[in-house]
Amino acid sequence: MIEIQGLRKEYGDLVALDGIDCEMQAGEIFGLLGPNGAGKSTAIGCISGLLTPSGGSVRVLGHDVVHGGAAAREGLGIVPQELALYEDLSAHENLAYWGEAYGLDKGRLQSRVIEVLEQTGLADRDKEQVKNFSGGMKRRLNFACGIVHEPKVLLLDEPTVGVDPQSRVRLLDLVREQAQLGTCVLYTTHYMEEAQDLCDRLAVIDHGKVIALGTLTELRAMNGERDMLRLNGQFDPERVQAGLTQLNGAEIVSLDETTLILGMQAASKQLPALFSALAELGCDVRETTLSQPSLESLFIKLTGRELRE
Amino acid sequence: MDFILLSAAKDLRRRMKDPTSLLLWVGIPLMIGSMMSLMSGGGSSVPRAKVLLVDQDDSFVSQLLAGAGSGSGGRGAPLDIEVVDLEEGRQRIDNGEASALLIVPEGFGEAVLEEQPTTLQLITNPAQTILPRIVEEGLEILVEGGFYVQRLFGDELKLISKGPDVGMSFFPSATIALMSTNINDRMRRLEDFLFPAVLILEEEEVLATEEAEEEPSLGLGIIMLPAMLLMSVLFIAQGMSEDIWKEKQQGTLRRACSSPRSLASFLGGKLAAGAVVVAGVSLVGIVVGCFAFDMSFLLAPVAILWCSLTGAALLSFFILIQTLGKTPKSGNVLTTLVLFPMMMLGGSFFPFEVMPAGMAHIGRWTPNGQALLQLKELLAGSFQPMPLLTAALCIGIPAGLTFFLTVRRVRGSFLGA
Repeated sequence: MIEIQGLRKEYGDLVALDGIDCEMQAGEIFGLLGPNGAGKSTAIGCISGLLTPSGGSVRVLGHDVVHGGAAAREGLGIVPQELALYEDLSAHENLAYWGEAYGLDKGRLQSRVIEVLEQTGLADRDKEQVKNFSGGMKRRLNFACGIVHEPKVLLLDEPTVGVDPQSRVRLLDLVREQAQLGTCVLYTTHYMEEAQDLCDRLAVIDHGKVIALGTLTELRAMNGERDMLRLNGQFDPERVQAGLTQLNGAEIVSLDETTLILGMQAASKQLPALFSALAELGCDVRETTLSQPSLESLFIKLTGRELRE
Repeated sequence: MDFILLSAAKDLRRRMKDPTSLLLWVGIPLMIGSMMSLMSGGGSSVPRAKVLLVDQDDSFVSQLLAGAGSGSGGRGAPLDIEVVDLEEGRQRIDNGEASALLIVPEGFGEAVLEEQPTTLQLITNPAQTILPRIVEEGLEILVEGGFYVQRLFGDELKLISKGPDVGMSFFPSATIALMSTNINDRMRRLEDFLFPAVLILEEEEVLATEEAEEEPSLGLGIIMLPAMLLMSVLFIAQGMSEDIWKEKQQGTLRRACSSPRSLASFLGGKLAAGAVVVAGVSLVGIVVGCFAFDMSFLLAPVAILWCSLTGAALLSFFILIQTLGKTPKSGNVLTTLVLFPMMMLGGSFFPFEVMPAGMAHIGRWTPNGQALLQLKELLAGSFQPMPLLTAALCIGIPAGLTFFLTVRRVRGSFLGA
């Protein structure tokens, strides 16, 4: 459904995407994870034809997005990160316009608009101007505009940012429904829990490169099933770096004067030894967080920073 | 084409949700038309002043004054004189039913013939500006003329005013012959001064097969209304061009760019919507103009079409200028900076007729200047295909170029792609 080969996007000296390769299949929810500025939205822009790649190629439904743009975009649905709605029109008018703009024939348009309004829980407010909607309702309508024409490929760029919990659950259910209908879903998010719950496969992207790609199980295996221990306090990075090498199985993932993140196997059993070692090194530990093997710990291990940075 | 219409319908629907700006745009020509109508007293293309005359003298001289004021058949002077009594005259001028009230006092005729001082009282309507001035000027000319007539033919006038001797119904033939001879002699002596031969008529046979058409009368309305309409069109075009920023800010421009439809048709829809809005506004303005200034309805549909095409062309131009701004505010400042010089140069603020020749020449070749010239012709009832086509090209070619540049710019740096 989507084939990306050696995709590059440069803005002068800045390399936003640096040779990305991946493929996405029908009925698959593919997660694209990365911190701000990693290149997720640029990738979405290139796939949707909004941005012209500097190198490489993107094919959607077999059509090159640069040379066969219109054909590629026919089957594409987009739910952008920022809302893309006419606030002075009603929900019904917005859906009817975008449905027709994406080539939905008039015979199917009305029934499809009603269907999508019901799916997104907006049927009872369909005649009201969008500017009167809550943030969550606007997000749902934004999603509805992306799926009204029944696309075969759906690009979702952080669709749940700023959404209330109720709307988020509803949106995630809608994403699953789309995949069950055979739609290929490319989903970018900041939220690890969402990615873990939703995505069949994931790509971790940083500085414009894919640094890990696979199913959740495959990625966890890359992390070595280790716990992630995060310590906040006062640290002397040089002494900690030298002193902790002797601690069994501890790997420093991230270290600065206030934060130390360690990857450890069976971390809870090693906590007493770790605290005494840190005390001997003159460190002052004020807060400790222990997390089980997760996507976030993998991400921290791969990028050296947290996803929300 | 379908998408152009779809986008135009969408934009019109959005406009309908903001009735204030629509009313404002419709209100501009209405307000200006009403103001012009009030200023000129309304009615015909050649405005006429209604003068109420209170003739307390009822003499031969005062009747001459009334006759001279209204001219022969009402076509010579732009005055409609109605004789009323003093009470009615005061009441009607207080109600604003006339441009002026002229009171001719008792003894006026005798005083004129005897070269004695006398005073005519003229009360003007303060609600009007132009027509009362016309009455004042006209009256001054009449008084001046009256003075010379008295100096030349005072004796004869005294005789006529006095009438035949008691017991006689007519002047004796000898008296009439004497008066005629005297008048004839004086006219002959003054001929060189009164009627100098400043023009020599050369007769030439013209092989005309068609009957010469009567020139349409270019009244105040025909000068001002097209200028005001073009001003409205410029305001509408500038106002609607701001929408490109709204589309960008609300993310719909990006969504449109990632749709399978072309950006050109999306923007084309905006121009089509602009053309419809301008057509609506100019319809109101032209219909009001036709009634207020006795303009011809015959070419009104062509004039409306002309306005709407001009509106679309100007909208294309203003959208391009909007995209040159870094922010909505700077885009608006840029369009405003262009709008006002365009209005001034293009004859919307000051008619070409009163501009310095060089400026008027440049102004006539601006797109809105060309549009204005053709609109004037159409509203005056004159349809000339070649000048209209030339003007259409003068407006259409730059508009096409700006549209092409707008599409490129929107897809490029305006969207940040």
